[in-house]
Amino acid sequence: MSMVRCDGVVQIYRAQDVEVVALRDVDLVIDRGETVALLGPSGAGKSTLLWLLAGLSRPSAGRLWLDGVEVGRLDQRALDRLRASKIGVVLQNPSRNLIGYLPAAQNVAFAQRAVRRDRRRVRDLLSRVGLDDAGDRPAGRMSGGEQQRLALAVALANSPRLLLADEPTSQLDPGAGRRVIDLIKESAEAEGTTAVVVTHDVAVSEALGRTVTIRDGRVGSEGRRGEDFVVVGREGAVQVPPEYHHLLPPGSMARIEPLEDGVVLRRAES
Amino acid sequence: MILRGLWERRTLALVVLLIAVVPIASAAVAPIYSAAALTTIVRDVVREAPVDGRGWRYTTTNGGIERKVAAFTAGAGFVEPPVFGMETSSGGADQGDARAYSVVWQDGQCEHVRLVRGRCPSAALEVMASEASELKIGDVVRLRSLRAARPGATVLDPAELQVVGVYRPGPSGDPFWFGRTLFDPYGQPSQNKVDALFTARETRTVTYISGSPTEGSWTDYAILRIDPDRLAGTDLPLMAEMQTLAVTAGRDTDAIVFSRMADTLRTINANAETLGVPALLVAAQLVGLGWLLLFQTVGDLVRARGPEIALARLRGHGRVRVWRFALAEPMLLLLLAVPLGLAAGFGAASLMIGALLPASIPTTFPPMAVAAGLAATLGGVLAATASAWRIATRPITEEWRRTPRRSARGWVLDAVVLAVTALGLTELLAAGVIADASGESVSALAVPGLMALGVALLASRVLPVVSGWLFGLTRRRGGLGPFLALRQVARGPVTAGSVIVLGTAFGLATFAVAAWTATSDDYARVAAFHNGAPAAITVEPVEPDKLTAAVEAADPGGALAAPVIKMSGTPQLVVSDPERLARVAHWDPALAGGKDLAEAMAALPGPDVARVWLRGERLRLRLSHDHLTQDWETQIKAAFRVTGRVGPVPITIGKLRGAGSYEWNLPLPCRQVPCELRRIHGELSRITNSFEGGFIQVRVESMEVLRDGAWRQVPMPAWRVDQDPRRTDGSFALSDTGAQVLRPATYDQEPAGIVVGEVGARAMPGLDNAFTHRVRPAVIAAAAPGITGAGVLMDLEQADSIAYGVHEKAEFQVWTRQAGTAALEAALTREGLRVVSTVRQEDLAAGYAAEGPGLALMLLLVSALAAAVLALGRTVLALHTAARRRGYELAALEAAGAKVPALRVALLLEQAITVLAGTLAGLLAGLLAAEAALGRIPQFAEPVVTPPLPHEVAALPVALVTGGALAATLLCALLVSELLLRGIRVERLRDTPA
Repeated sequence: MSMVRCDGVVQIYRAQDVEVVALRDVDLVIDRGETVALLGPSGAGKSTLLWLLAGLSRPSAGRLWLDGVEVGRLDQRALDRLRASKIGVVLQNPSRNLIGYLPAAQNVAFAQRAVRRDRRRVRDLLSRVGLDDAGDRPAGRMSGGEQQRLALAVALANSPRLLLADEPTSQLDPGAGRRVIDLIKESAEAEGTTAVVVTHDVAVSEALGRTVTIRDGRVGSEGRRGEDFVVVGREGAVQVPPEYHHLLPPGSMARIEPLEDGVVLRRAES
Repeated sequence: MILRGLWERRTLALVVLLIAVVPIASAAVAPIYSAAALTTIVRDVVREAPVDGRGWRYTTTNGGIERKVAAFTAGAGFVEPPVFGMETSSGGADQGDARAYSVVWQDGQCEHVRLVRGRCPSAALEVMASEASELKIGDVVRLRSLRAARPGATVLDPAELQVVGVYRPGPSGDPFWFGRTLFDPYGQPSQNKVDALFTARETRTVTYISGSPTEGSWTDYAILRIDPDRLAGTDLPLMAEMQTLAVTAGRDTDAIVFSRMADTLRTINANAETLGVPALLVAAQLVGLGWLLLFQTVGDLVRARGPEIALARLRGHGRVRVWRFALAEPMLLLLLAVPLGLAAGFGAASLMIGALLPASIPTTFPPMAVAAGLAATLGGVLAATASAWRIATRPITEEWRRTPRRSARGWVLDAVVLAVTALGLTELLAAGVIADASGESVSALAVPGLMALGVALLASRVLPVVSGWLFGLTRRRGGLGPFLALRQVARGPVTAGSVIVLGTAFGLATFAVAAWTATSDDYARVAAFHNGAPAAITVEPVEPDKLTAAVEAADPGGALAAPVIKMSGTPQLVVSDPERLARVAHWDPALAGGKDLAEAMAALPGPDVARVWLRGERLRLRLSHDHLTQDWETQIKAAFRVTGRVGPVPITIGKLRGAGSYEWNLPLPCRQVPCELRRIHGELSRITNSFEGGFIQVRVESMEVLRDGAWRQVPMPAWRVDQDPRRTDGSFALSDTGAQVLRPATYDQEPAGIVVGEVGARAMPGLDNAFTHRVRPAVIAAAAPGITGAGVLMDLEQADSIAYGVHEKAEFQVWTRQAGTAALEAALTREGLRVVSTVRQEDLAAGYAAEGPGLALMLLLVSALAAAVLALGRTVLALHTAARRRGYELAALEAAGAKVPALRVALLLEQAITVLAGTLAGLLAGLLAAEAALGRIPQFAEPVVTPPLPHEVAALPVALVTGGALAATLLCALLVSELLLRGIRVERLRDTPA
């Protein structure tokens, strides 16, 4: 059974009297236990999709299922409950995930308040992220790497089924970043957590089981086991990856040649 | 966690705490101070009330006085222990003794009379008689209705009261007697009534009233005096209740409660109302301002917790939990602020009370202070609740957006405020002076605060528009600094909040300062006119010519002092020596058609005619008269002004018996000192049963005085008859319907006077309070020295000539333009005058300032200035916070090559524009409010009739406050800009949230 299922999800928001279409017709299925890297250029809609998956906003159109529950049908209370019990989120800036003046353990415990307190799990998590001796230290006094690990511990506080992380390694050195990714993968393996990680970091995307690239609000391509695939959209649209734009520049004419198992696009000479 | 959070945001938390404490304290100060001011008013009014307006005299004829009085005074701790007494009245029982006697026992009586001879009565049937009664020690007094049983007798005989002591009454105003007339006011023997006979309490046990034990009894009474030092403002309802009981006692019980407490209560209530209105005005506006400040600051605190609240929501905390989480910190601070604010309010009020009110006034803590403090806190609670709810319900993702979505500021609140302001303004302008705080005039009372808020709201709307327009100009020229500053101001939200807070607070402060200066000026002006001169020395009554002579001797130059006699009434009368008064008294030519005082005074003196002074033993008049029918007889009388007597001394010259000479003894003092002949008149009495009318004309042909054994001719003066001005030949007519009075023609029939107010054709009281003469207005003025209502100022010589004597209510004063009066007082004392008191103009003005409105105004001034300082602090903080939020933008600008001086100019200019706009809006609002409200909100406990009050706002204090505020704000802006600039680092661009 899928953990996440997007069916034609559209997300529109208003910014200074202008309507911005952040996501358009996103179809995406993520199975339980999968680790997915969300890739794409800035402004492509990755964070918007992440916020939708976190239940922080509802799609403007289309349908979104999280763990088999359609988000659009949930009232605010149910959505809060869903977020508390099944979803863990790591925001982009590590310090944003934490209450700076609280010690590490209390930060984790704060995340448990909405469900149930589990002190043993707090200790386990801190131990897993290598912060067993930092329980009483205020989060604000930790290094960036420590904060990021603590942020991960906070996100995992309630044993979420879906872990969402936005650029979890962006402010870390490669070693610390690798450690964070390892922790995400360990969690996925140990607890069957589905992880969706927004990243620009190739190392991260390579470390995860699958990549999904968002371009212009659409799912442009997917990668599995080291191989990238373009995704054929609802109306048969296919986004040509940027690395092929020099062969088939945007705005150019192309000829489609059918094959037995697909088609070939050839630039039409003008 | 909450405490950790507060520590994390300690600066902001401290600011919130301070901003919460100050309005709570300010709001609490008003009731605490009002309570003390009310206590002051109540005590002052009771102290100044006549004796019988300071308590009750409880009388019963059915016994049980102690029990009844205990019930009457239950709970009244301000009443002194009752002075019990008993009395009975009766005529004398002896043949030929027609006098009425009062036999009295009053606890402590002997300490309140001077024992001349003998001793105080200590046993039954012993009495002490007054010196004026001419009773001697050992005399026995028998009364018709006071009886006693003799051993072995079957009938009750008049009790024999033995005189064992002779007393002389003490001061007539001794409160011990509760204003009763137990003694002859002149201390002279009376033909009808004897001064009280004081007896021992035991007399009651051996006597019966009216001959039978069951027929009557002694009247018991208790004098219940209020001790002003034990009185508090909160006792007012109980006093009113006791007075109501006193009024109904006669109807519902056998008791009679005499008191003039109703008058005292009326005065207290009038004063309390005039305190209540401005105090309500002050409290309401301070609470309102506190709300505004709290609304903004507490909102800031909640918003500062925005990231934490967003985290709580991100982790799935429910809405109520999130709301509670958001509310926890501000609520804890507000909870902490309540006791701190109340304590600070109590401390501040104690200081104010110590500095402004008499030393004996205690500082109490009325429940209203708690209510006002909580009401002020409520603004913060509402702000916290609203802000927390907004943050708990807005989309979480807003918290992490790089550019928060702008929400347009609604017009609804502004429209409501402006509408209520307009309503209040209309009500205020339409109404006269507001004198009740009943709630009907609430919007009118709130006008100063509302106007400040309204103008501030408008300014906050106008400023971004104007800045936007100017911003367009700076695109082309003016440099980067003004461009950035105007763009930021034009964006609006922080600017608007700061302009509203500053404008409102400074509006109220400007109004308070303007009102204070105008009111202080009004007080000084009223005091100058009402006191008449820089100092007014009140002396005991003497003959007017003695007063004049004493002043002339004390101030031979005539430049320092003037004799004055004042008569209350409608119209009032003030008389003085015009020449001296012109050099001493306060005057404003602008209120008298441009005439200066000397010019006005020059019009007052009457004809220069010598008075008729007689010295000798006897007076002989040669009279001629018409034939008198046998049905009538005529007594001819004369009246003299005698040294040592303020009133006229009459003599009866004799019964008319045909033309010829009539003579009679002159009053005794005339043998040594000349007496002034004031009038000759007659009385016509019917001596038969005839119905025929009586009429006779009498003419004085000559006057002689017997001195040193020889009759001496007195030159005949020019005569006048006020009732018939044509008679000037010394004749006058008497009839059964009225009698004419012959007087020496030493005055004008209509003397010249300076007329103030609506005197019309009314007669002025005259020194004798006879209301016989009108004045001829020589000058019509809106105000004149010593006159507090409609009144007349005239020549003392003229007034003295017109009056037969000087009424007891006349007030004798010596006015001087010297601030130090000691030398003059000494000189007057040497001249035989007894100085009673001296009132300086400043004392009077200080007295006005200590009345209800003055006390409330001082409260407004102190509190509004404190609030303005707070608003300034809050604004600087808001600007600082707003600029810090833009640190990323400023760092980016620096990274893009913008020079630091340009950024400094931008920050400084932005803050300067904001505080300048707020301060100027406040100044405008305050002055407009002063223009609208002054003259309608009471300044005096009693409305002032004259002089007209200009309500002139002194420019200097207002300019000082505004200038000071501007200088302080600009300095703060400079410091804040510099601090912010130092905090901007390009490196910050790296860690700024996306």
